[in-house]
Amino acid sequence: MTQVISVALDAISTSLVLALVAMGLAVVFGLVRVINMGHGAMLALGAYITWTLAQHGLPFFVSVIVSALLVGVIGLLFEVVLIRHFYDKQFETLLITWAFYLVATQLIKVFWGTDLHSVANPIRGTFTIGGAVIGRYVAVVSLVSLLLFASAGWVMYRTSVGIRVRAMIQNREMAMMLGVRASAMYRAIFALGAMLAGLAGGLISPMFSVEPDMGTLWLVRSFFVVTVGGLGSLVGGTLIGSALMGGMTTLVSLVAQQVFAQTVVFALAVIALRFRPAGILGKKAA
Amino acid sequence: MMVDHSGGTRIESVRRRPAAAAVRRWASGENIAASAVFVALFYVPYLFAGYPVFVLPQYMLFGVLAMSLCLLWGLGGMVSFGQAAFFIVGSYSMGIAVRDIAGSLGPWAGIGMGVAIAAAAAGAVGYFLFSARVRDSYFVLVTLAISTIAQVIANSASGLTGGFNGMFVPRVTLDLPGLALSLESDLGAYYVIFLLTLLTYLGLRALQRSAFGKVLVSIRENEERTESLGYNTALRKTLAFAIAGGVAALAGAFYATDAGFVSPDLGGVLFSTNVVVWVAIGGRQYLLGAIVGAIGISALSNQLNAWIPTYWQLLLGLLFFVVIAFFRRGLVGTILAIRLPMRKAQ
Amino acid sequence: MTISSPRGFDRRSFLRSSAFAALGASAAVPLLGACAPQSSSKNASGGKSDPIKVGVISPLSGAWTVYGKAHIAGFKLAVDEINAAGGTLGRKWEIVQADSQTQPQVVTEQANRLIREENVAFLAGTFSSAERNAAGPVVTAADKLLLYPTFYEGQSQKYYPGVCNPNIFMFGPEPSEQVWPHMDYIVKKHGGKFFMVGSDYVWPRETNRLTKQKLTELGGKVVGEVYIPFNTPQYGSVLSQIKKSGADVIFLSLTGSDTVNFRRQLAAAGMKKDFIVWTVDDEEAATSGIGPEATAGDYVSFDYFWSIDTPNNAAFRKKVRAASGNVLMDTVGVAMYNAAHMAAKAIELAGDVSTDGIREKLGGMTFDKAPQGSITMRAEDHQAVLPSYLVKVRPNWTGTDDMFEVVHKVASVTPSAAACTDLPLKAK
Repeated sequence: MTQVISVALDAISTSLVLALVAMGLAVVFGLVRVINMGHGAMLALGAYITWTLAQHGLPFFVSVIVSALLVGVIGLLFEVVLIRHFYDKQFETLLITWAFYLVATQLIKVFWGTDLHSVANPIRGTFTIGGAVIGRYVAVVSLVSLLLFASAGWVMYRTSVGIRVRAMIQNREMAMMLGVRASAMYRAIFALGAMLAGLAGGLISPMFSVEPDMGTLWLVRSFFVVTVGGLGSLVGGTLIGSALMGGMTTLVSLVAQQVFAQTVVFALAVIALRFRPAGILGKKAA
Repeated sequence: MMVDHSGGTRIESVRRRPAAAAVRRWASGENIAASAVFVALFYVPYLFAGYPVFVLPQYMLFGVLAMSLCLLWGLGGMVSFGQAAFFIVGSYSMGIAVRDIAGSLGPWAGIGMGVAIAAAAAGAVGYFLFSARVRDSYFVLVTLAISTIAQVIANSASGLTGGFNGMFVPRVTLDLPGLALSLESDLGAYYVIFLLTLLTYLGLRALQRSAFGKVLVSIRENEERTESLGYNTALRKTLAFAIAGGVAALAGAFYATDAGFVSPDLGGVLFSTNVVVWVAIGGRQYLLGAIVGAIGISALSNQLNAWIPTYWQLLLGLLFFVVIAFFRRGLVGTILAIRLPMRKAQ
Repeated sequence: MTISSPRGFDRRSFLRSSAFAALGASAAVPLLGACAPQSSSKNASGGKSDPIKVGVISPLSGAWTVYGKAHIAGFKLAVDEINAAGGTLGRKWEIVQADSQTQPQVVTEQANRLIREENVAFLAGTFSSAERNAAGPVVTAADKLLLYPTFYEGQSQKYYPGVCNPNIFMFGPEPSEQVWPHMDYIVKKHGGKFFMVGSDYVWPRETNRLTKQKLTELGGKVVGEVYIPFNTPQYGSVLSQIKKSGADVIFLSLTGSDTVNFRRQLAAAGMKKDFIVWTVDDEEAATSGIGPEATAGDYVSFDYFWSIDTPNNAAFRKKVRAASGNVLMDTVGVAMYNAAHMAAKAIELAGDVSTDGIREKLGGMTFDKAPQGSITMRAEDHQAVLPSYLVKVRPNWTGTDDMFEVVHKVASVTPSAAACTDLPLKAK
């Protein structure tokens, strides 16, 4: 029994952390159809800014929030200067965001150097649930992830903002005719996506290596989380996607080598993509 | 509605006049530029000795790899982040064949095996996806998965590939009846690879102008309409993906023997992304753009690496920004576009 | 869109066909005549007063960037010392630097550039085994030397020309030097049940194979062995496997960001109190990236640590601080430092700058001033005979000065003989 609970806890926390990391991407990719190849760099920026603030004595969680806001501002500037000119050109935004990744990663090296940085774990110790042990900080981050998704669901389905966003995903022209200010909304969504990336970067920094290229670990996985779950379905889709990408890896690697587990999960993701033509038709709205 | 490929003017002309004439007129500026590029490449060994003669063939092969993406992207509107995976299939096939098959058959077997396996794999994956209308960003993701998986497997299957530590491949001689194309000297390798690049370019240009090429363009501009005209678009996209896979593997096979060393990084996402960058900067509308982008960026990277080893990638990233934001046709596309008003004035 | 006149069309098609004709004609010339130029190989050693150019390939960008700084700083420091002392044979040294980008194909390009364009006398550097292997065929073809600084899997003929190569010298430790000397200590103190976690490539697999061999002799056993593909962020499943394995010691040979991620998650899962960690990868730079909390009490073994207390190292530390400020010097940086000094001595002894001369004199050379103690370059297989240290990470360390405490040391370890077919390694 303890075994089962332990595996379940692993799979769930792995999935929720992955979902948290992918959330910013899900917002930008799902809502404004920008394939944000710069997502990884935004994660890294979040982690680095958190590290710097924490070094200067700010409490960890304050540092995370400030760094999320700062990365949001960077995203906003990026949107205003470049991205907004290219919304209807998906491949151009893909390339520009990749250029953002290259430049931001290099700038991180210029400002912070290439040494690894470490952010101290703010909540040490473990919880024991049904005999299975889980790190407190991992548990907290998983809960934060859940909370974020719950509030995203609330905003999307219970508020007027959510109605406008959903209207815009479904039919942009119609929404604009009905008075939705698309350009302002796009800008806000892109900045929000950047902010979420910064938040995730800050939150995972005590568990992961803080280095300029840290985002590359997550980029491809995050994309799969977002698309496999289904574009536009921000809450359910992202959670399902991360359960497949994270949870499945955990389960398969119980019985097989890691290489096999990771390869199989990618292959499964590709197969899942094939059998989701609905998502592809949904793309037309952009 | 669909992704713009900065080819708006051409859609107009396709509508107004016979397609063949339109495509030919569009291409003529490229032909002159292409001749200039190939003549220049041809004379490089006369002007420079040593390192350029060694390194340019590798860049030319990157050019061939870039052309395989150009075929997919410029012509068919499919962005692939997986071309490096097919490239490395060619490289390992060459390495394994030369290692395990003695005599003059080895290199040929390597090339043949690499191209066949890559084309078959691309065809299988392609049909699996295209038949379900997987495209655009979804297709991009699948190709990302292809290169991710390729790199993981190449790292892990060390019995076959040498794993992370890589595989050594000797320079080979390609025996033909009455002719031996030797890559053993740098100069020999230069001209054999030059010839391969030229032939691939001409072959893909012919493909571009063929009926098949035109259907691909039409699929890119409007897949539903093309389908309603009675074309099996999934089959044609599959074929294009398979051909591109084969061409990438061809480049990979020659790269293996020319560079002498193959490692899993060559099949990974990062290298695949480089290929996309080359084509984007060179100009995805033109096969020549792919060649110029690949050779130009690789040479520039090499030079910057020499001048400022620490921060050279920052400059490259900024250049990339500028080109994508302000010269969306890419370098070759922009240059060829400048010629248009001049011709009008004649 | 453009409406072309018949005249314009003719002119263009004429240009087109003539350009291709010219191309065709010129293509025929060299293939028939074979009269194209050949590269004139300049004299690499240059004139009597020209500087001696040395090519250094370091990982300055990409996945191993974190090791790049010490890598190049160690070599630079030695070259500054050599030049301050008047150079070698009266000639100053000049470093020509290149970035490997952590990608082997870039090493192929850059090694060739340094040798052919820059005419360097020899190469030093490359970081991972793959990078070294990429440089192997290049130095063999050009008959130049490569001085390789990294801890690695040892030499076996299968990987020639990356190893077992007369043109390559190994200044870093291999498993029989890095792991074997301390196994008895660890097994006696903490038990013999090892759980092995490594990155999925040759160095960890070879290290584990040799470790297992020794472990069996000592009566221990391996209770789990997992290989992780590069760039794996999450380790939940591996941690569960370890939990139920009943291991005493987690033997780690993960690399890059993977080792950092693994160890931080191990600590966050509260497992550090139940298992002893012994890593053979995490030198000063990686350990400082993992942080004090996640590393406290863990063991690390290498030939060199910043904190070892020897007169040589005290002097060395002073010089590093003066020269490059806060660089985290490590085994790789020190190997680069030793490589430069030993090459300089070899050139002095040989009396000229030549591959044969340096190889001849470097083989068998002992260097007493090495920061880790006296080291010797074994002539037979070009493997350095090095000291070996096992350190324990102090709790609540604040920097590299108080990071490690030496708990076991062997002043000089003779590495097992290389598995090469043609020993001793000498010029073909």
